[in-house]
Amino acid sequence: MIWLTWRQFRAQAITGVAAVALFAILLAVTESHMTSLYDASGIVGCHGGACTGAANQFLTNLTSGQGVSFLPAGANAYVILYFLSVLFILIAPAVVGSFWGAPLIARELETGTARVAWNQSVTRTRWLAVKLALIGIAAMAVTEALSLVQAWWAAPIGKAVGLGGSASIMGEGRFGQFVFPSHGITPLGYAAFGFALGVTAGFLIRRAIPAMAVTLAIFAVVQFVTPLWIRPNLLPSSHTIATIAAAGANVTSVFTITNVTNVTHAGSPQFALSAAAVPGQPGAWITSSGAINVAGQPVSGMPAACASVTPGNLGPGGSAVLNNCLASHGVRVALSYHPVSQFWPLQFAETGLFLVLALALAWYCFWRLNRRFSV
Amino acid sequence: MTAVIETAGLGKRYRTLWALADCTVSIPAGHVVGLVGPNGAGKTTLLDLATGMLAPTTGAITVLGGRPAAGPAQLARVGYLSQDAPLYTGLSVADHLKLGARLNPGWNADQARDRVRRLDLDPRRKAGTLSGGQRAQLALTLAIAKRPELLILDEPVASLDPLARREFLQDLMETVGEHQVSVVMSSHLISDLERICDYVIVLVDSRVRVAGPVDELLATHHLLSGPRRDPASLPDGVEVISASHTDVQTTLLVRTSGRVLDPAWMVSELGLEDLVLAYMKQAGASRNRHLEVQK
Repeated sequence: MIWLTWRQFRAQAITGVAAVALFAILLAVTESHMTSLYDASGIVGCHGGACTGAANQFLTNLTSGQGVSFLPAGANAYVILYFLSVLFILIAPAVVGSFWGAPLIARELETGTARVAWNQSVTRTRWLAVKLALIGIAAMAVTEALSLVQAWWAAPIGKAVGLGGSASIMGEGRFGQFVFPSHGITPLGYAAFGFALGVTAGFLIRRAIPAMAVTLAIFAVVQFVTPLWIRPNLLPSSHTIATIAAAGANVTSVFTITNVTNVTHAGSPQFALSAAAVPGQPGAWITSSGAINVAGQPVSGMPAACASVTPGNLGPGGSAVLNNCLASHGVRVALSYHPVSQFWPLQFAETGLFLVLALALAWYCFWRLNRRFSV
Repeated sequence: MTAVIETAGLGKRYRTLWALADCTVSIPAGHVVGLVGPNGAGKTTLLDLATGMLAPTTGAITVLGGRPAAGPAQLARVGYLSQDAPLYTGLSVADHLKLGARLNPGWNADQARDRVRRLDLDPRRKAGTLSGGQRAQLALTLAIAKRPELLILDEPVASLDPLARREFLQDLMETVGEHQVSVVMSSHLISDLERICDYVIVLVDSRVRVAGPVDELLATHHLLSGPRRDPASLPDGVEVISASHTDVQTTLLVRTSGRVLDPAWMVSELGLEDLVLAYMKQAGASRNRHLEVQK
């Protein structure tokens, strides 16, 4: 059965390995140049606040493509490579699910070859078990390989971001919506789930092409829903109430008044406050934040005194003057967040969730194959 | 006489449609059994149930004393060639033999190789490029070389041209002769069955209309023609299968273990095809009568 599975899967396996190789080559040819930019930025051996400056310098150089001799200036080669590579990892499970998973059973039912396989001296359960195990592991390996190659290539960016560098659209932290699901062990969970989803869709629909489309659609929905509603709630989040003053001199960069409107409601302008960082918790992932008043109630109406000092500060952004005025009127920020120490627990929780879903789908396939079966 | 396939009240329903309902049949071992019946009689469904390709909705079926497709041992005992002989189009002839060798502990590699050589199949050719006849032959090779005790063939020659059909059946007969294997083969081409089957079962609307060794059936069925008269006037022990009348003449197909001695009848022998067709026709009529009685 292993031989047959391999014989049928051979061409797809070669395609998969070729894709990983091409991906690695594309990144490898630029890796040494990125490392040289990193070494030249002064991050290595920096101390204290100088590190953030050096990290920002590195990210700026990287974004603007400075010193990229082999490309025209401003080509943004690294930005394009960075996002393409992350995107590739994110869609890999969907591709694997629809091109390896969906036809796995569907094609055999469509062409009638399932009857050939099921009339050899091998039970259907074994037939499916070998296919699921071998190709499922291949799917996980390919996706994780992409992730590891990208992580190796992007390591300097990660270090710079870790040092507080944010002067780039590549400056997404470890909990970022692109970074989190494409690094660590989450690609394993997504690959297993995408593959099992494809197999199940193919089994239910019994036609490979529609099953591929359904797999892509469902996976896209899952990828959209997960960071919004599932990931923040996988583990209990920490809560804190921060006073605006607690941020001290750095007040504007810690708390951003994201939206001050001069639409008066009950006599005062509306404002919304959200936090960009948690005091004392660098790198934490803020899942929700908002302004509360002295009594701890959510507040959106501007205190009258602040409304009078803000005419010039209305509009997105706010200012230190406005922040200080809000703070002096007892406005504080309520925060829910996952500290950076939750990174691996969240990785395990999310990977575990999708592995369990994958196993549930696989179990359903076995059940259907043996109980409600008909070709 | 032991049975290779034995069913009791077997039924298979697809949503609201019964493809096979309340089918009770016993197919004996050691024969080449032809399963005939009109389209929709349930032949394919019965064979799919016998190979475990389908699970029954009602009733029970045992094949060689075991549950169909219950495990590797049971699977090894039954060879199945399903309609249209599906094969892996992207795999070569040699790959198919390797597949058989890998997946069947009882695989007879020499026999498989010899067959492929004799059939003049290039081992390197992809199965997708083979002709219909060659595909059927390769599929049969897979089914036979696993050394089954029972070989089930579902309309194996329906899609073949007359020459390929004759070659296929010829080859099947030789193989069956060499290796002790029971065969159950469905077809609606009665002339093909006549050539190779020694036992026939007529299945209409999930019911067995007649079953028995071909010689015996032919020896006990007669075509009578004579002046017009009521079939009821025939002696006991003579069963009328079909009757047709013109103004002056009556033609009867009868079954009797004895001889028809009444000189008023002209007795003639009949072929398997006429016999089977008579039973197929009779089936519809008797069913209607049965319904009337129920009212």
